[in-house]
Amino acid sequence: MNITVDRKIYSDICISKTVYALSKDICCQRHINDDIETIEVESQSDTLTDDMTVKLFWQTLNDYKNREIIATETKEIRILLYAKAFADCDTFDENID
Amino acid sequence: MEYHLLPFDFTRIAGQEVLVNEFGDMFVAPMGTVDKIVNRTLEKDDVYKSLVANFFISEQQVPATLDIAAARLREKKSFLDDFTALHIFVVTLQCNQNCVYCQASSRKEDSVHCTMSEETMARSVELMFRSPAPVLTMEFQGGEPSLHPELIRLGIEKAEELNKSEGRVMRYVLCTNCVHLTDEMLDICKQYGVMISTSLDGPEFLHNSNRGKTDSYQKVIAGIAKAREVLGVDMVSPLQTTSVRALQYPIEIVDEYVDLGFKGIFLRALNPYGLATYNQDWDKYVDDFVVFYKKAFEHILDINKRGTFFMEEFAVIVLRKMLTPFCTGFVDLQSPAGIINSVLVYNYDGYVYASDESRMLAENGDFTFRIGNVNDKYEDIVYGPKVQRIAQLWANETLAGCSDCALRNYCGADPVRNYSTQGDPYGHRPTSMLCKKNKAIIEYLITLLIERKEEVLPIFKRWLL
Ligand code: SF4
Repeated sequence: MNITVDRKIYSDICISKTVYALSKDICCQRHINDDIETIEVESQSDTLTDDMTVKLFWQTLNDYKNREIIATETKEIRILLYAKAFADCDTFDENID
Repeated sequence: MEYHLLPFDFTRIAGQEVLVNEFGDMFVAPMGTVDKIVNRTLEKDDVYKSLVANFFISEQQVPATLDIAAARLREKKSFLDDFTALHIFVVTLQCNQNCVYCQASSRKEDSVHCTMSEETMARSVELMFRSPAPVLTMEFQGGEPSLHPELIRLGIEKAEELNKSEGRVMRYVLCTNCVHLTDEMLDICKQYGVMISTSLDGPEFLHNSNRGKTDSYQKVIAGIAKAREVLGVDMVSPLQTTSVRALQYPIEIVDEYVDLGFKGIFLRALNPYGLATYNQDWDKYVDDFVVFYKKAFEHILDINKRGTFFMEEFAVIVLRKMLTPFCTGFVDLQSPAGIINSVLVYNYDGYVYASDESRMLAENGDFTFRIGNVNDKYEDIVYGPKVQRIAQLWANETLAGCSDCALRNYCGADPVRNYSTQGDPYGHRPTSMLCKKNKAIIEYLITLLIERKEEVLPIFKRWLL
């Protein structure tokens, strides 16, 4: 079964993380053609039907997209948080670009 | 709506979205909340206010509570401040029992060349004091360490001597099967406040079948009673190991602990070495262990509801991470991992290992996690190139799978277990049995908090006092 993903919408990192996360139950072969990626998916689990496999794939992919947005938007505040938590220094420039 | 995201991760449990922020605070929200947060379609309702108050989103670019959040994060990782606190001394491999799942690679009682020399003990104690931890725990393991009370006395006396100028808080633990606790051994324990950690697998039939003996249970029970009489009831704590046979007896095992007057039980799965003796499929064992754990846990909840205080100690560790601002000292659920950061093992032969499981690997001929010798310089052992390589793989904040896992604050990294079960210290989370077990138990506890909060939260709070 094939799943087609628009790489302008979902980054390579999101797709790779999805393939990794599902790798116990689903075998994926990735074919990249410009902005379109076709992923041949094959369930390795007795309990996963084709419909469930597709649903699981898209849910996982969308979760990684949300995580990517959160990680990108919070990158600087996260650095500041860790610096304040662990650096032995009290003065930080809190201006975020 | 105008607001700024703050770092958090999420998962779905019991039909809800569970959001966990950078320092482990959990927020349970209706399905679809994460989409709304990310797409800025949240209503300004109670969910919104809770998300702001709990450091998931912020109305300012740099939230006013950033310093508080940083202090919370630091507290969660404060186990790192002290560095290695637990020092395990493998006094001997000799043992007077024959447990079927023996995880310590023990040998017969009359075996030779498997007991620590006095010089190695003394040097190991000196190394222990190089660790900056203000509280040092010296744990004697085996084999059966009580077969060598003279060595244990020597180690403790050396530590006491050095501590006159060091001023640390010293704790001593003797891991013993309690089968042959002599008066000499108990005198040492009484004199220096040594706690007894023993093994009790459950009711008589089960304990004896795990030990490969017909009288082990009676001896252990007699040993526990003797130790309690001399040292005090609270100075003896037992550890349970879930053999394949034990999986069928969750209720009986818990009841045995309650009947003996213990305040809790640590429901402990076999490690890969123990399991190897059964030649059993790891995947199936973990599935069965989770079923066993849940049955035992439900029974423990019932016992508490009937008015008896009794804890499941693995759950207590996870719940402490989940429901309090504090970290725990439990080495198996830490990130960066407990190996080296929280525990060092001095083996009978003078080699130093990153953890107890590391030296078990060595007993099977694999020295991957041997990090030095007691005669090496402390800095070369704990900051050497081998440890630097291990350090690249010991934080679940940076590991594939874990770094995107909402449960990582409640879990831990374990390169040694990854290596021993998957042949690679980095590990592969989707097929990791340790990940599967931890995830199943943590999700179960969160499910209880979502679906049966009124019933379980008062019990959990009592456990955490
Ligand atoms: S081991 Fe598994 S449950 Fe634990 S943090 Fe990693 S992915 Fe999450």
